[in-house]
Amino acid sequence: MTAGVGYVSILLALICALGGIVAPILAHRTGNERYFAGARAAILGQFVLVTLAASALIYGLVSTDFSIKYVVNNTTRATPFYYRVTGLWGALEGSLMLWEWILIIFSGLVAWIYKDRHRELMPWVLMIFSIVSAFFLLVVAFASNPFETVFPVPLDGRGLNPLLEDANMMTHPPLLYTGFVGLTVPYAFAMAALIVGKLNDSWIVTTRRWTITAWFFLTLGNLVGAYWSYHVLGWGGYWAWDPVENAAFMPWLPATAFLHSIQVQERRHMLKVWNLSLIIIAFALTIFGTFLTRSGVLSSIHAFASGPVGILFLAFLAVILIGSFGLLAYRADHLKGQPQLDSMVSRESAFLLNNVVLVSALFTIFLGTIFPLISEAVTGSQLSVGAPYFNWVTAPLFLVLVFLMGVGPMIAWRRASLDNLKRNFLWPAVAALLIAVVLAVGWVRDFLPLLGFTLCAFVTATILFDTALAVRARRRIAGEGVFSALVTLARRNQRRYGGLVVHLGVVLIILGIAGSMSYSVEREATLGQGETLTVGPYKIQFQGLRASQQPTHFRVEGAFQVHNNGHDLGLLTPALKFFPGQQSPIGRAVYRSSFTQDLYLILSGFSEIEKNRATLRLLVRPLLAWMWLGGFVIVLGTLVAIWPPKKGGGRRDEG
Amino acid sequence: MSRAKRFIIGGLVILAALVYLIYGGMQEAIVYFVTPAELKANDAGSKGKFLRLGGMVVKGSLQRDPDGLTYRFELTDGSAAIPIYFRGVPPDLFTEGKGAVVEGKIGDKGVFVASAIMAKHSEEYSPHEQGKESSPRSFIPGKEKTKP
Repeated sequence: MTAGVGYVSILLALICALGGIVAPILAHRTGNERYFAGARAAILGQFVLVTLAASALIYGLVSTDFSIKYVVNNTTRATPFYYRVTGLWGALEGSLMLWEWILIIFSGLVAWIYKDRHRELMPWVLMIFSIVSAFFLLVVAFASNPFETVFPVPLDGRGLNPLLEDANMMTHPPLLYTGFVGLTVPYAFAMAALIVGKLNDSWIVTTRRWTITAWFFLTLGNLVGAYWSYHVLGWGGYWAWDPVENAAFMPWLPATAFLHSIQVQERRHMLKVWNLSLIIIAFALTIFGTFLTRSGVLSSIHAFASGPVGILFLAFLAVILIGSFGLLAYRADHLKGQPQLDSMVSRESAFLLNNVVLVSALFTIFLGTIFPLISEAVTGSQLSVGAPYFNWVTAPLFLVLVFLMGVGPMIAWRRASLDNLKRNFLWPAVAALLIAVVLAVGWVRDFLPLLGFTLCAFVTATILFDTALAVRARRRIAGEGVFSALVTLARRNQRRYGGLVVHLGVVLIILGIAGSMSYSVEREATLGQGETLTVGPYKIQFQGLRASQQPTHFRVEGAFQVHNNGHDLGLLTPALKFFPGQQSPIGRAVYRSSFTQDLYLILSGFSEIEKNRATLRLLVRPLLAWMWLGGFVIVLGTLVAIWPPKKGGGRRDEG
Repeated sequence: MSRAKRFIIGGLVILAALVYLIYGGMQEAIVYFVTPAELKANDAGSKGKFLRLGGMVVKGSLQRDPDGLTYRFELTDGSAAIPIYFRGVPPDLFTEGKGAVVEGKIGDKGVFVASAIMAKHSEEYSPHEQGKESSPRSFIPGKEKTKP
């Protein structure tokens, strides 16, 4: 019953989507405006039907309706309520359903918000949404149907992968999908602008906030994914340059580039073709990422079982790329006659360089990710490209980016005078160099991390210095206190100050990455009961093994009494969990965070024969906690940037 | 110098830097996966290269030294067999007659010196593989550097 309602809703929604594609074309051909209303109605219809279908699937999961195969595979009678709900994105079929649902929610929001605006663009915007939606509905209906039924109905389900039973996994996929789908909005507006041939900056101004929002969710999705990896997977790292991670990270790069380069177009009407290309690439990469992870071409923990889904995604990807770039070529004459760059020392050129570096990073990561596929297809030899490649290639690129993060927001538009450079950068550069000297004398002896920390200091100094000057000016002019001056400044130019706060968050993340990558200590030791391992300031005494039967698994934990410089950190108990039906156990690592470093304990083995001997893997990862803190600062900055502006006061942004 | 020329030169410099980065990185990080037959066929060319070798542990070949940490065995793909030397803790599933993947370099006298024996992961993500239930009685995994 539930399955039937869901499946029929999907089929009807698909019909709506096809209607939504045809309606604007008919309107254009016949000149009958009534068909435009059809495009809107099609979106509304899809919204209602897809929401119904998604609700049906959630209802099936929550009520453990085991006549549905997907429910059998992702829940059991013992599964708690919230993990039943999150079963929606526990496997391929449900994930695609969720994707389609978020997409149609975004489409509905766009249709509703711009009801009376952009009369020329909107039918085509909605058509693009219907095209993307039709594709996903097609996949859900015919290639990966979450409403497939089983007979006879089993008594109990098989349940979620235990690794996914974690609070972070409840949020990571929806955040990421929201980011991916959010990019559809600027993409749809860009395509509509190309179709209509109205290629001024209005599509960019309109979608600015959508782009920031999408970027925000992408960033957060990736960070939560990294946190989950660190928190749950128990290998002591947060990023392995696994193809699945790359697939989620790659769209972030052109999206970030786009976010910066549209400012150049807004201000100086340059880079029109470039911006259109960036958003096409960013959107195409979200589809490519799904192809990569969900088609089974690569295998890793997220790479779900293979099926016809891969071919469909590849075909859709081809349609997107050929269609979008074809349209771009067709409108090429509309895009000529842009202003030229005035000087290499200007904000335009800083942003341009930022874009070049981001796209270069994308290219290198893309190449490293698909190189094993190319190699196997061309020469037949199997190989793998390890994390050292990605670290080696991206480290210099990201360092250049950090430097540009300090320069870009402060340097003058068009042509920076020597005076401008001195005013904005002299003191921050001096401050950064002083910090570099202190670090070099005190702790940091290696070039790359020293450069990283110095650049982080430089960016922070430029931001603090610039803000301090602005606050001082306001205090003098308006006689405000420091805090109210800050609020006024942020209120007057939300995008700028929001952006600067986001930059500070990125600096913290870079700090965490540089510290944890360059100065990690890793030790492995087999300890008998009562034996102590000493690493740096840490003393770890093994107290013994404990075994217990948990509701879903058998658990063996090692008890370790940990002291840091004589200070008692308590008993840490990393464990191994043995799930019935699983070949190897799942580790449950335990860690203690502090502002200076994390201590991460992994129980990597134990033996019963020699009684109470445990093999412990220990990692000390400096500054890692700053990464997660940086995430919170980014949230704060984004909120400042997209907070609805005061009515009447300040500069109003459309959209 | 004209503007166009300057852009072309700048672009070329960036491109050259990128190519250098990619080439250098690939040299460092590519690990080829070979079978015993492929390794035998290209003995000289493989010397000194970090490789992944996959095959079946030959029945009756596994020897464990008295120190309990040194293993000698042979890996075969049916047509050729390579002797392996390994010091460390092998994964739980490592045993004669089963598949195994080792990572390391070919040393003197054609002996492959493995720095790690890797547990074979299943190709697909599925929590309910058909297979034996894992034994919680004792567990000693191999050295896995990456996450599962």
